Amino acid sequence: MANTSGNAYALTCLSPIRKGCIEDGSGVGTGTAYSDDVRHRLQTWGLLEHSPMAKVPQTYLCRYFVLDDVYYQSLSGPDFFSTMYDILSFFSDRFREMALPREDHLKSKYLVFSCNLHGDVDAYLRGMWHAIEEDIRRIWGYCYGFEQVRDADSFAAYVRKCQLKASLFFVGSNDDPLPEQLKALYLKQEFSRFAVEHQGLPATELQQAYRAFMQRVQPLNLAGPSWQPGQSTP
Amino acid sequence: MTKQLDLPDIQGNVVRAYGRFNFPFARYVFFNIRDGRRGRAFVGAVTEQVTTAQRWGLGPDEIPKPPSTVNVAFTYPGMKALELPRASLVGFPMEFIMGMKKRKDILGDDLQSAPERWDPVWRDSREHDRHKDVHMWISINGQSKADVEQRYEWLQQLVAHSAGGVAILSGHRGDDGAEHLPFQDLHVVFENGKPTPKEHFGYTDGIGDPVFEGLPGNPERVTGRGKQMKDGSWAPLATGEFLLGHRDEADEYPIAPSPQLLSRNGTFMVYRKLHENVGTFNAFLDRASRNYPGGKELLAAKFVGRWRDNGAPLVSAPDAASKAAWDEKFAQADRRERDRMLSGFTYDNDMQGAKCPFSAHLRRINPRAALEFTPDAFNTPGALTNRRRLIRRGLPYGEVKDPTRDDGNHGIVIMMLNASILRQFEFVQQQWINYGNDFKAANDKEIILGNHNDQYPSKAVIQSDPDGDGAPYFLANIPRMVETRGGDYFFIPSMTALRMIAKGIVDPT
Repeated sequence: MANTSGNAYALTCLSPIRKGCIEDGSGVGTGTAYSDDVRHRLQTWGLLEHSPMAKVPQTYLCRYFVLDDVYYQSLSGPDFFSTMYDILSFFSDRFREMALPREDHLKSKYLVFSCNLHGDVDAYLRGMWHAIEEDIRRIWGYCYGFEQVRDADSFAAYVRKCQLKASLFFVGSNDDPLPEQLKALYLKQEFSRFAVEHQGLPATELQQAYRAFMQRVQPLNLAGPSWQPGQSTP
Repeated sequence: MTKQLDLPDIQGNVVRAYGRFNFPFARYVFFNIRDGRRGRAFVGAVTEQVTTAQRWGLGPDEIPKPPSTVNVAFTYPGMKALELPRASLVGFPMEFIMGMKKRKDILGDDLQSAPERWDPVWRDSREHDRHKDVHMWISINGQSKADVEQRYEWLQQLVAHSAGGVAILSGHRGDDGAEHLPFQDLHVVFENGKPTPKEHFGYTDGIGDPVFEGLPGNPERVTGRGKQMKDGSWAPLATGEFLLGHRDEADEYPIAPSPQLLSRNGTFMVYRKLHENVGTFNAFLDRASRNYPGGKELLAAKFVGRWRDNGAPLVSAPDAASKAAWDEKFAQADRRERDRMLSGFTYDNDMQGAKCPFSAHLRRINPRAALEFTPDAFNTPGALTNRRRLIRRGLPYGEVKDPTRDDGNHGIVIMMLNASILRQFEFVQQQWINYGNDFKAANDKEIILGNHNDQYPSKAVIQSDPDGDGAPYFLANIPRMVETRGGDYFFIPSMTALRMIAKGIVDPT
């Protein structure tokens, strides 16, 4: 499955979380499982513009969750073979049981990080480390293998090792760099406001107002007025 | 054999808009059930007088047209108070159990429409005092005021006879600041003493209810009211979109409580009392039409999708000239042709919204096939619409004494009937009334009903012909013209279910 779409990249990463419970300093268990603590830490993150991920450059959309186990997918429909097995059950239950789907389980719980981003994935992950190193350490700290992560490069290498080949794309986004998309949204909104506020003006006045508008919104200046990552209200 | 409904088992308000059958007056009374056994006895006594969906006439399978009608529905707490078995109660859909108040975030009932501002009877229901909970709705529609009064007296006698088993809840707002009326009175808008199908903004209302399988009436009515098919023809919608216990548009039975006899031929009703800010509406129409090239009446029509005077759809009469031609044809048309002219249209020739804007009431509430923006995109043109249809019942209340003011007693009680409040009413309200993305109208709200606010001022676009010279026209700072004043979610049982509830013999095992 391709996990690139133009300049957009779909990253899915599953990091196994340590089994067992957190110990206090002296080797005594606290009764809280590592995975439960990771979930708790994620649940105390801020949302939207208050999320640490709003500080990570080029993030279109991302999601974290703790995967406890896989779900049982129910019985398969009656195809030819299961019907055959059903008939054979006349002879033995063993045949019938063979027709049942096997139940799968995960070997450990996983921290799942699913993210749509712009550009090169390694550069993105290094940028992520530089932006929110503390938060990364708090979230990934209980994952197997994370002790090898020391810096931006080793973090990128670690995530890539945990990467799952899946292409989960968020359709609300194209593949332009995030600041360009945010600016485009801002311009679209400001322009429709301009159109509403200035309808019916004589051409010269309209032109004048339009010039002032262009000066204010600075269409080509990405660092100028725009929406901020994660921002949810004007 | 074509499907036939069990009309004697279905309550009459499900198939008939009484206002259209010369019942211009109505009174809605709400009850609290204080005692299960006596409450059930009361329901039993009322049930004997409930108006069914049977045809009116003097034939063998008909009933004489009554001077007044009676219909009954219950809220979830009402079903509990009547001591329905728990195993039946848990089968009701989640949104019905929650009730309308708790769904306010989905419905956009905020600011002036927030439950704290509702009429006392609704404001206090399902709060702290269970004696104030609305449990039961009984509607009386009458051919005259006296007919309504007579029925109401009968109802009061039954209440007295129930010896405290049920109590009439007061707390309806009325004329001159009244806050504690014991009923909601309604009547059509009269002009020069004659009843009209108008509401208080001057629009012709109540045109074009859905037609579904088994519904009696002339088969041509399906045009514009049923579902649009791939070949351009029309077919009735599946019965299960409007009645429980019947197959719906997904070939499934709607979610309903057991036993089947409790739910079959019943449906859910959304009751909403909507105050109309007549002064705000008139001022906004004046302000917005000042520079509108088509003039005030056309702009008023653009808000709704129909001309105010006779309901002519904009798709068929998009400007003054075509309206004049439409009027002439309408004047000479017979009843069937008139009906077809009012309802039998599509948006096929108006996919850009140049005639009927995307945010007009009509287009939002029933988009017909207009959400299929790419021809043949779906396996049926109404794929996004057919499961979002609503039967609308309702009447205006109050009178406009000063058209420049908002604070009089005037509005409309609208009741929407559907098999799934969640999928039908709530979806339409949330996605199509208070949001516009499905119509490619971004977050523009429906112009008249949208919950516009000052914090994020609403706009709407009156589209123009993309091949013409005219510019689109923008409505800016749209004020809130309609405010919610109360309501709840009700279950309208079948006659069978009413009798079983009354006898306490509902048995889901």
